[in-house]
Amino acid sequence: MLRLENVTKTYRTRNGTFNALDDVSLHIEAGEFAVIRGASGCGKTTLLMTFAGMLRPTRGTVLFGDRDLYRMGSAERACFRAQNLGFVFQMFHLVPYLSIAENVLLPAAAAGLADPGTRAAELIDKLGLASRRHHDPTQLSAGEKQRTAVARAMLNEPRVILADEPTGNLDPDNARAVLGHLAEYHKGGGTVVIVTHGPEAAQFADKIIHLNAGRIDSNP
Amino acid sequence: MHIAKLIVKEILHRKTHFLLGLVAVAAAVALVVAFVTTAAAGNRETARLMLKTGFNLRIIPADADMNRFLINGFSDRTMPAGYLDTMARQEGFSYNHLLASLQQKIAWRGMEVILTGLAPEVCPPDRKKPPMVFEVKRGTAYMGSVLAEALDIKKGDAIDVNGTMLEIVQCLSPSGTLDDIRIQCHIADAQTILNLPGRINEIQAVDCLCFVPTDDPLAILKDELARVLPEAQVIQIARIAEARNQQRRMVQSYLAFIMAAVIVVAGAWIGLLAMLNVRQRQSEIGIMRAIGYRADYIAALLLGKAVLMGLVGALIGFTVGSALAVVFGPDIFKVTAKALKTDYALLLWSLIAAPAFAAVASFIPVMRAVAQDPADTLRKE
Repeated sequence: MLRLENVTKTYRTRNGTFNALDDVSLHIEAGEFAVIRGASGCGKTTLLMTFAGMLRPTRGTVLFGDRDLYRMGSAERACFRAQNLGFVFQMFHLVPYLSIAENVLLPAAAAGLADPGTRAAELIDKLGLASRRHHDPTQLSAGEKQRTAVARAMLNEPRVILADEPTGNLDPDNARAVLGHLAEYHKGGGTVVIVTHGPEAAQFADKIIHLNAGRIDSNP
Repeated sequence: MHIAKLIVKEILHRKTHFLLGLVAVAAAVALVVAFVTTAAAGNRETARLMLKTGFNLRIIPADADMNRFLINGFSDRTMPAGYLDTMARQEGFSYNHLLASLQQKIAWRGMEVILTGLAPEVCPPDRKKPPMVFEVKRGTAYMGSVLAEALDIKKGDAIDVNGTMLEIVQCLSPSGTLDDIRIQCHIADAQTILNLPGRINEIQAVDCLCFVPTDDPLAILKDELARVLPEAQVIQIARIAEARNQQRRMVQSYLAFIMAAVIVVAGAWIGLLAMLNVRQRQSEIGIMRAIGYRADYIAALLLGKAVLMGLVGALIGFTVGSALAVVFGPDIFKVTAKALKTDYALLLWSLIAAPAFAAVASFIPVMRAVAQDPADTLRKE
């Protein structure tokens, strides 16, 4: 379903260039729960962003099914993301001036959902945010913020949820809760790809990929 | 969620930022509106004040001897008084404040005096203005100071000038000019005294080109006169014309400088605020692009705020600027104070220009934000 073929991403810095991803090839099947692990700075986030069609690789191909993401135009890729992908980030990235319910509903307009209200209400209840529905993000705990982000990622029922260190800012209880929700989504048939440097997600994984200095490490 | 709702919610969330932007737009609009409103008054005021420098045009018969004209101070030839009516009938004419006169040197009570008959001042139909000089009634005269003193003539005296009785209504103060040896009376009395019925030898005037950008106003004046009175010629008093021209250039340069300075400062302010706003909204821009909002939607979201800021700023700025002009303008422009009014055409211009200006000032930061990969935007957070 998701395939990287010989992907290299090179960054230029004041001190020269370095490869955040170095000739990476990997494949994630539909319905898999994949965990990409590695130390900080090994290229995990770059890999996830490249998967998501948000960071053009310097070389190589990124395929979703048989579609090459980076052969699409910017607007087409945005539309593709809206319909197929959900995102969860370590820093939550909630829109500060929208209520929790409005944040959850945010992807609806981009994806052109007809009646997103019912689905949003279900997700808000399911993730234990009903009493926070009309609150601002600033009034929420870190765990509640991340559960809001998870609900937002699930609203469009995307084929894949991409999560970048989703438990990085959470205490163990909240981390378990968030991973539990992602695991439940996976059980419902969704594909989940998590990048993390922690061990918590491994228990849910169908596949664990180790990344080391921008390369797949087959002997971690 | 509707884009307008997102814009309003963001404004309410970052009120201070919006207020700072609003102050920039409103201040710029207020200053421009105040300056434009008062500039019109300033132009009128300048024109009125420059009239005090006197008539700057003299229309005399085309065949007048210029040598004698310059030596005597008036033409030795006369022309029909109907020329005044011809000029006064012209519309779109660059001559105004038309004052016909008949003057000649005469010997009177053992002195050489200049007898000057003055017709009532007239204006073309599309340029009606209050007269610049006093009107002399028939049977009356104004006496020059040298004559009055030498001949011991006082206000209320009756004088006989070659058989015509004139009552002195005023003895003029010394002016240091030929006026000091002048007897000024009504044109009809002068025509009787000089036995030149229906004749004049000069029409004095003021040109209306002082605020029209032209390199050669005299060429325009000559051309206009040639079309209606080919038998006459126009002489421009260069000293007065140049003074008016310099004043015009000074006023226009000053206003252009102020306008440019206001626009540059406000533009930089709005641009800086837009940049700060975009920086503050990196996370929001990044996540919205990540979840599939197109770059043009995000740009509309950011520029929509700038446009709204421009619209509200235009309304506030117009109100404040007009109030400033109407309240403080009359203290500055005393002569034309009554002409200082709210110019509602400027409201329309403000409502068009201010949002466009705010959008242009915000354009570069907004385009930079939406052109970035969403991953780069989110990584900066």
